[in-house]
Amino acid sequence: MTLESQRRPQAAPPTRPTAGDKALLAFAQSAELAVHDLYATALEKGGYGEDEAAMVALFGEHHLAYAQSIGGLLGADAPNTRNDDLYRQFASSLTGGASSNRILQTLENTLASTHTDVLGQLEGVDGASLVASIITVEARHAAAFGTLPSLSLTSALDNAALSLAPAGATTATTDTTETTVSQ
Amino acid sequence: MSDLHLSRRQLLRISGISIAGTIALAACGKQADVEESSNIASAGTVPPTTALPSAEVNDIVLLRTAASLEYNAIDTYELALSAGLLTGDYAGLADAVKRFRDDHQEHADAVNTLIVALGGKPFTCANTRINEVYIQPAVELITAEGNPDAAMDTVALAHALENIAAQTYQGVVGMLSTPALRADAMRIGQDEARHAVVLAQVLNPGYASVGPTVNEATGRPNIASVPSAFGGLGSVSLTIGTPSAEGQKTNLILETPSLNSLAYDYVSC
Repeated sequence: MTLESQRRPQAAPPTRPTAGDKALLAFAQSAELAVHDLYATALEKGGYGEDEAAMVALFGEHHLAYAQSIGGLLGADAPNTRNDDLYRQFASSLTGGASSNRILQTLENTLASTHTDVLGQLEGVDGASLVASIITVEARHAAAFGTLPSLSLTSALDNAALSLAPAGATTATTDTTETTVSQ
Repeated sequence: MSDLHLSRRQLLRISGISIAGTIALAACGKQADVEESSNIASAGTVPPTTALPSAEVNDIVLLRTAASLEYNAIDTYELALSAGLLTGDYAGLADAVKRFRDDHQEHADAVNTLIVALGGKPFTCANTRINEVYIQPAVELITAEGNPDAAMDTVALAHALENIAAQTYQGVVGMLSTPALRADAMRIGQDEARHAVVLAQVLNPGYASVGPTVNEATGRPNIASVPSAFGGLGSVSLTIGTPSAEGQKTNLILETPSLNSLAYDYVSC
């Protein structure tokens, strides 16, 4: 018997995303696409050694994977477009190397805070479980930036970034572009 | 239809055996001047069974279990500090270990506040089964005489426990009943993941060690700061102890708490 099956249903939450969940997940997907594109921009700016660039590329790929997974959950309701406001807010600050990494760390912390807020509003368990599995790795990304090239405990462990999550399960209004997600 | 035919002599022999067997079983039963024991089965009696306490896995139990893991971590870090396990290259980790210990105490307090708000009893000690099955065997291997890597193994144990804690919080998200509780769980779970990254970088430092890699000699995964794109819920491997003649250390497999290690309502410190 699994732990989940032992659990007595107390007004069991829905499994699939509700209408409100879909708006929140759509916002999350657009944010992930924006951060994926920001990683690509950071790599274009350069200033990285080989191993460092590989790490930055890996993290960028993770964000695309998050967007794809959220898109899979949303199906036809997925926007598949990046949050252009978020992209524009940070793109010009990516000037290369260590400077870019500070911005990317801020973005990771921002996404961790944002998704935690989103999680606090999601009714459906499928969406909640997916977002939780993303939060934990985005926190790892942020901590990695705080650990390399040298350890700063406060930089690795503390997250003062504000959430971008829309308050309440309303349709998120984002300025989007036509960047698409392959599914 | 069987065509078995028994003669009168055979029937009498079988009857005799049956009677003898019944007498023998009866001899095992209740006897005069002998104190009756419920542990010994006897002919014609059924020993009473002790029913297990009613165990419901609800939000409170899941959170009490999470609190118990926080105390496992606190105790482990306390041991690392008090027993002087962090030596040599690892002595400089004392500040980080104190920070992690304090973080876990904050987490435990926060989780217990939630438990009380839900009407439950706070849980303020380590999970006994996790301690017996994982931590004590690991500590014995670490502190065994002749272990040349006691300090590194201590960090490896801490890293494994942080990963188990992070996975536990992520895992309960699918079981907690309200969105608010799930978010509360992940506010803490992501802290544990950050701890794990710091420790992973101590054990296997550098940019090239952030993502997943494989030890070519052993074929096993190396310790990675970010071992996968999504947070995993699988077992955590911990390789520690005095190396064998072939250079092999002991491999322990840790898993998140299951039904036999939850802090049910009837479990107390």
